[in-house]
Amino acid sequence: MTLAPLLSLLLLAAEPDFQVSALNGATVRYADLKGSKVTVIAFVSIKCPISHAYQERMNRFYQRYAGKGVGFVFLDANSNEPAGEIAQFARQANLAYPVYKDYNNRAADLLGAQTTPELFVLDASGAVRYHGAIDDAANEARVKTHGLRDALDALLDGKSPAVVDLKAFGCVLKRVKGTS
Amino acid sequence: MARFLLFLCFAAMLPGQQLLLKPVDEASYPRLVSGFKGKVLLVDFWATWCVPCRAELPQLAKLQAKLKARGLEVITISADEPETVAAAPKFLKEAGAAMLPAYVKRPKDDDKFIGLLDPKWQGALPALFLYDRTGKKVQAFFGETPIAQIESAINKLL
Repeated sequence: MTLAPLLSLLLLAAEPDFQVSALNGATVRYADLKGSKVTVIAFVSIKCPISHAYQERMNRFYQRYAGKGVGFVFLDANSNEPAGEIAQFARQANLAYPVYKDYNNRAADLLGAQTTPELFVLDASGAVRYHGAIDDAANEARVKTHGLRDALDALLDGKSPAVVDLKAFGCVLKRVKGTS
Repeated sequence: MARFLLFLCFAAMLPGQQLLLKPVDEASYPRLVSGFKGKVLLVDFWATWCVPCRAELPQLAKLQAKLKARGLEVITISADEPETVAAAPKFLKEAGAAMLPAYVKRPKDDDKFIGLLDPKWQGALPALFLYDRTGKKVQAFFGETPIAQIESAINKLL
């Protein structure tokens, strides 16, 4: 596994502090969304087919772990995906989890997200403990490495995840022009 | 008997379609790039599910036709998984890109393969890599990139 990106994130050390928008326009802080033990920040897309392929898995993760001290922050930072379209998509796709709009890709820039879907799993202190893909295959039947599941189970058990970085694969995050 | 022969003909054709995209892994990719030394090489990573990639294919095919005589070679590498790769030749043909050498990414270790190409690359699409005539990577384009920007970078190397 490539450790370099994760190590650079770990160097951030301080807990991330960013604001996002609920789909009704309300401003929400990261501190309001984080979990008591672990937080999953997931960059998603309503247009990327690989993000679509993971929706059902994301529903299951949310339903399985949200009550166990895990906070989920699903962010759409794509500049070509307005809040109204995200809200419509969320209804049609029966998403179990709320999606927030990351305007001007500020959270994406802070964390260095490049892909949808791409995850950052933070512990209670705000340190990134797992980064990358949910697992290693869009086709669930061929999954061999359950990166997110194993990381969450390890962290909730007070252990370090065995796999800390699994390359996120999918679509390039579409940033607002002129931003990093 | 005639039906059996017809079946054999179809059976022989199907694998032929699959073979249109040659597999490339972490060991063969450097050899593939090295084989184009003397040319400016643009490697296009795309997938059938990637809408911006599909939109880019016809533009890249036109670019290849326009600049081939000056030394440009464009190759495509599909990042499709086994379930979707069968449709790749059809997309290439419809995009007018069937003449471009076509490969499919089949690494033993995907992380290693992606890291080998560019440490900054996460594997997300679209992704293009530009190599100069010595086989040295000089630029990478991640996400939707205007074709004029790509052409400009190529022109500097031709």
